[in-house]
Amino acid sequence: MTSFLSRLSLVLAAMLLPVSMVFAAPSYNITFEKANNDIRDKESLQRGAVLFANYCMVCHSAQYMRYNRVARDLGWTDEEVVEKLAYNQRVTVDYMMTFMEDGVSQSKFGIQAPDLSLMARLKGNDYIYTFLRGYYLENEGEWEPAIWNNKVLTGTSMPNVLEGIQKHATPEEFDQVTRDLVNFLDYIAEPNKVERWDLGWKVILFLLVLLLLTYLLKREYWRDVKH
Amino acid sequence: MSDKNTNQTPPGGMLKWLDDRYPLISTWNEHVAQYYAPKNFNFWYFFGSFALLVMVIQFITGIWLTMSYKPSADEAFHSIEYIMRDVEWGWLIRYMHTTGASAFFLVIYLHMTRALLYGSYKKPRELVWLIGMLIFVVLMAEAFMGYMLPWGQMSYWGAQVIISLFSAIPLIGPDLALWIRGDYIISDATLNRFFALHVIAMPLVLVLLVFMHIVALHKVGSNNPDGVEIKKHKDTQGLPLDGIPFHPYYTVKDSFGAVFFLILFAIVVFYMPEGGGHFIEAPNFEPADPLKTPDHIAPVWYFTPFYAILRAVPDKFLGVLAMGASIAVLFAMPWLDRCKVRSIRYRGYSYKLLLTMLAISFVVLGVLGALPSTPLHTKLAQIFTILYFAFFILLPYTSAHEKTKPVPERTT
Repeated sequence: MTSFLSRLSLVLAAMLLPVSMVFAAPSYNITFEKANNDIRDKESLQRGAVLFANYCMVCHSAQYMRYNRVARDLGWTDEEVVEKLAYNQRVTVDYMMTFMEDGVSQSKFGIQAPDLSLMARLKGNDYIYTFLRGYYLENEGEWEPAIWNNKVLTGTSMPNVLEGIQKHATPEEFDQVTRDLVNFLDYIAEPNKVERWDLGWKVILFLLVLLLLTYLLKREYWRDVKH
Repeated sequence: MSDKNTNQTPPGGMLKWLDDRYPLISTWNEHVAQYYAPKNFNFWYFFGSFALLVMVIQFITGIWLTMSYKPSADEAFHSIEYIMRDVEWGWLIRYMHTTGASAFFLVIYLHMTRALLYGSYKKPRELVWLIGMLIFVVLMAEAFMGYMLPWGQMSYWGAQVIISLFSAIPLIGPDLALWIRGDYIISDATLNRFFALHVIAMPLVLVLLVFMHIVALHKVGSNNPDGVEIKKHKDTQGLPLDGIPFHPYYTVKDSFGAVFFLILFAIVVFYMPEGGGHFIEAPNFEPADPLKTPDHIAPVWYFTPFYAILRAVPDKFLGVLAMGASIAVLFAMPWLDRCKVRSIRYRGYSYKLLLTMLAISFVVLGVLGALPSTPLHTKLAQIFTILYFAFFILLPYTSAHEKTKPVPERTT
């Protein structure tokens, strides 16, 4: 990998661009836990949406999702969705932008919390699932303050937001909480995915019928070609 | 050709009015209804028509994408997500376009393999091959420019790597790269010009070249799996004994093939549009960031064989030359191959061996080009780069002394 990076920097040598940050290889030494989420499970998506609005949206946005789109896909009305996800602080056509004011994330955590619309497609469901469950105490047993780290993304700026839930829930309940969250992230990364799956086999079925017809047509025409 | 019109009733009415003013019937006859193609085409001969089909898919989906896409560094990424989420059927149109790009290269590579198998580049079809090679080069430019438009991380950094290759050229390199980018870094200016080239310039050239490719082919006639010339044996009417009119025989056969192709195409579009991360790369779901290099920059799969050759050479400029040569040398195929026998069916062991070696090298280089560079990968890439070029270096000698089998007079 180092030779690749040196070659890469060679390739970029002519550039005037200062490549200030060259990250190390993403050699994850951990195996991701399987999220096993199901985007057809609307109840899970609804729970995930509420969790997302209450926990993630404190810092993060889903800038490509409108509340009314979520309502339409998850089976809520336009009134329900803003009540459940925004305590009526937003209108239904709004994008799901963070509740945090500009610049707070930067000053508090040293980094702008990334938008989560496409995180599931960027990193994968299993990555997020393992990440959410991957927090551990660096100073276990000491009295204060708690220093959290993450086994997936070492030194992450993100605090262990789900700490409170984890403390008061059974392991099974926590499994469900994290799975519901991943499920919602999976959904917002591609809201049309279920529609795509449901349309696909119909198109293929139509084409199979057409394949048979074109085959018979071809055979009929080629009857008089002597070999 | 005109003598073959005698057994048809002369047109009347509207058709006559048109035909008196435009060579409608004669053009149709010359290129479709009375274009005699060998009757022994096998499955390899589908890929030309598939390529035409994919081109049409790309044009139509491309036009509709252009209606909602914004070629600006600030808006490009957002507009893609707008297409994916808010535009009616936008997701389907975009997935057809992204899948179409990969499908285009897949069918073109198989189409070219067919030419190598059956000697379709040989006299008198040299121009068909040369124009085809030009199409291939234009297609690579078209795909490269199109890949930048979503303005994701891989769009940006992939383009960064490729454009910086030009800066390796001595003397003019840095200025040339600057001229291509229109800025000191890849920026809004670069995106805008790539958009113009992708949606106007390259497609225009592509259509012209495809037209010429077909005209040149119809002038000399199609080759076939036996590599025999069907025009040598004609009946009393002057029609090739082993030929059949393209329409209706090959129009119905290609229709069947097209539907078969569309089924495979639909499976990808609906159930694996990312192609396992090879058709749409995961880092491209993050907007372009000039300050953040991705961990691993890999071009899309169809460029990886050439990228592996680039990386195999330790010196950057020599690497660029080797990569250029790996494509350029293909243009010389009609003259590098000195064997009179066209089809691999009747050629000697040397060609079969060499062609197998070329195919394996190309695939292995393709795999290596997608992997991160390690000492082992580089070593392997160097070996297979040598094997790739060995095909073209050895061919002139082996093909001149090849022990061929007797070629039949007629198709089998």
